[in-house]
Amino acid sequence: MGRSIITRLFTSLFVVLGSLILVFCILYLLPSDPVLMMIDPSSATPETIANLRHQLGLDRPFYIQFASYFNNIIHGDFGNSMMNSEPVLPKILKHFPATLMLTIASSIIAVIVGVLLGVLSAIHRNRWIDIVARIVGLFGISMPTFWTGILLILLFSIQLHWLPVMGSDGFKTLVLPAITLGIVGAGFIVRMVRNSMLEVIHEQFIVTLRSKGLSERAIMYQHALRNALIPAITMMGVLIGEMLAGAVVIETVFSRQGIGRIIADAIMAKDLPVVQGVVFFSAIIYIIVNLIVDISYTYIDPRVRRAH
Amino acid sequence: MLKLQNNWLKYVAVAMVLMLVLGGCSIGTKEADGNATGTTTEGVGGKSSQGGELSYALATSPDTLDPHRSGLAVSVRVIRTLYDSLVVQLPDHTIGPWLATEWTVSPDAKSYTFKLRQDVKFQDGTPFNAEAVKYNFDRIINPETKAANAQALLHPYKSSEVIDEYTVKLNLETPSQAFLGNLTQALLGLVSPTAAKKDGEQFGKNPVGTGPFKFVKWDENAEIVVERNDDYKWAPAIVDNKGAAYLDKITFKIIPEEATRIGSVQSGQVHAAETVPPQNVASIKGDSNFQLLQVNTVGLPYTLFFNQRRAPWNDPKARQAVQLAVDVDSIVKTLYLGTYERAWSPLSPGILGYNESLENSIKPDVDKANQLLDELGWARGADGIREKDGKKLTIQYVDGSPNREKRNDIAAIVQQQLKPLGIDVKVEITKDVQTVVYINGDYDLYGNNQVNSDPNGLYWFYHTSAPNAAKLSISGSADPELDKLLEQGLVESDQGKRIAIYKTIQKNIIDKALILPIYVFPYTVAASNAVKDVKFDTLGYPLFNDVNLLK
Repeated sequence: MGRSIITRLFTSLFVVLGSLILVFCILYLLPSDPVLMMIDPSSATPETIANLRHQLGLDRPFYIQFASYFNNIIHGDFGNSMMNSEPVLPKILKHFPATLMLTIASSIIAVIVGVLLGVLSAIHRNRWIDIVARIVGLFGISMPTFWTGILLILLFSIQLHWLPVMGSDGFKTLVLPAITLGIVGAGFIVRMVRNSMLEVIHEQFIVTLRSKGLSERAIMYQHALRNALIPAITMMGVLIGEMLAGAVVIETVFSRQGIGRIIADAIMAKDLPVVQGVVFFSAIIYIIVNLIVDISYTYIDPRVRRAH
Repeated sequence: MLKLQNNWLKYVAVAMVLMLVLGGCSIGTKEADGNATGTTTEGVGGKSSQGGELSYALATSPDTLDPHRSGLAVSVRVIRTLYDSLVVQLPDHTIGPWLATEWTVSPDAKSYTFKLRQDVKFQDGTPFNAEAVKYNFDRIINPETKAANAQALLHPYKSSEVIDEYTVKLNLETPSQAFLGNLTQALLGLVSPTAAKKDGEQFGKNPVGTGPFKFVKWDENAEIVVERNDDYKWAPAIVDNKGAAYLDKITFKIIPEEATRIGSVQSGQVHAAETVPPQNVASIKGDSNFQLLQVNTVGLPYTLFFNQRRAPWNDPKARQAVQLAVDVDSIVKTLYLGTYERAWSPLSPGILGYNESLENSIKPDVDKANQLLDELGWARGADGIREKDGKKLTIQYVDGSPNREKRNDIAAIVQQQLKPLGIDVKVEITKDVQTVVYINGDYDLYGNNQVNSDPNGLYWFYHTSAPNAAKLSISGSADPELDKLLEQGLVESDQGKRIAIYKTIQKNIIDKALILPIYVFPYTVAASNAVKDVKFDTLGYPLFNDVNLLK
């Protein structure tokens, strides 16, 4: 089992390297010129532009630019923002806790609502709770978050005055954004848990348990759910990616601080080092989360443990 | 089972529509009686009160608070609270004293000698004197500073001479009548030499000036806080309160999403929010708990510039056909619901020399437009698009993204309005106008605007060789007559004659159909009634010296 974890770690390192190359290439190949975004083109002379390009190292060949970028990343230097020369990594680390809070809070909402509704709807198939669950699933997957977010603001902040419209200071400002993003996750989990519960319920071992005279309750919550949760946990790994991406929209709608806001601003300003930094950082987070999910299987599912 | 499901779906659909309607109503019809807007006071007409903290929502994040390195209007709204200028522009376009008490201009109009106030201190204690002024202007032209718009505004500044502690002489390369007016702009505000030297690149995050407010903190993407400068006693003539501000603090909240921004005012979370979308203007005006402050920005209105380097748009007749076919009135009314004014001239109302005789001078006339294109030999092809010598009549219409002030919608309407005329408008929305427009010149029509204190702003857009010679002007004009007028306008010292020159220039530009002026951008602020006495400078930037909060 130890060996399998080490293999996974190695694979992850390759994925990290791959994402680093991808991030660098995409931004390198973009047709527009970051230097021209930094200065006022109506007043700059060609020499100023050339000087600035040289200063930023943008006049060097592709592979040299990549090699030096790679070298810096290894040493923890993500470069400096082109807009205000601020170092990128400290900037990301400063804003990441806010995004992390949002991600955790919405994951909790997503898991509680998603698993609860998923299980209930599978047990009470075609009853009203099943229909509610299916609607939540559909709503969560199909509604754009900025729209849900604005509706929640209208209802809970402007109409009812229960919660603040925007901000990122304190618990109250976290509620609406977490619900907005949590609904998305809940949508995915509800569908996943419902389907896998329905599958498990019809498996042989459930029939066996029934014939042994176990109560329906014990069968569902002790045996069926445990098996049904495995795909849901896989889903969590994917969902963390969804949540990080969702933060870009949610943090803008609710005017929260976080790395989603940073990358949105950086993309608008074509601030390459910041965009690269945030994308690469998010990729690492995503890889780590999925590594944890992979490893956690071995503890949840005895079949995986035995396979090694 | 299927039937049951359908019924459920129906209920949910109804519930969702209700939610939408409720949400919509909440903007339109909030009752005047006490809702939970904690900051709103019922009684109107209370007197100025000392103290209080104002929260003011900005639409985007400032780039830097170093006035010399910024180029964004949103930054100027904060910068204006932190820094003062040498002189101030008064509502009648004359220039009044601020940190300079008086000044003289040399006979060759190439040097300005300023006498400075002797009682001014920067917020870090650095004395304000001739050395500080010299440091500031030399800093702007120093390439190390990477100055942005400030450098263009300061042009044609050459050097400063310190005459004595409180007298400074500024020398210019060439005479410029726009120079004194440009000195009033916040982007040429005076920074503390001590702080600027100490913080270097990071000065924009630790700004120090002489202004009515001192910098406290900047939480990126959240808020910028400034507090009262108690020593302040050098306010310009455009505000009533000549001493320290009444407010203890101003918190500028950064709220990019417009529904959230206006919602923050309506829910009472902030006192005021800038840039109110047209669909919210009417509801704010109609709500007795809130007020709408509105001021037109001054300079060049949002204008569509023809690229005269490309055929057939180098021909005045072709341009005139478009000018006659585009119904600007209906565009502005449809998109902005009567909240924006239509522009008629290359300059906006309120600037020196604005030519009001151009107002209502052009009426849409599609027949005449068709006739002009027929005369030029553009005949309609099978698809209704005109052709000549095997070439289709097209307009490459470029606009910057995102859809600021619905500019992309303007493009879509122009496209529709020109189709019956037989012109195929290709709209390209790009964030990268620098490459597309300034480097490649790949456009026939391009939309832009500029905030400016002086009509000389036209020079950069219409003169054959823009002063820097690095770029061609957006309009691609090469008109010796226009060049000569622009040069005269730059140096004419008699204000009456200068006004006459700019009136002629504006008329020329419209007569030759070099542009389609579209709208004048109003700076709008939705505010709780508790906010009193927000004033605006001549460019339309808010001033907080007089602001007080009803308690």
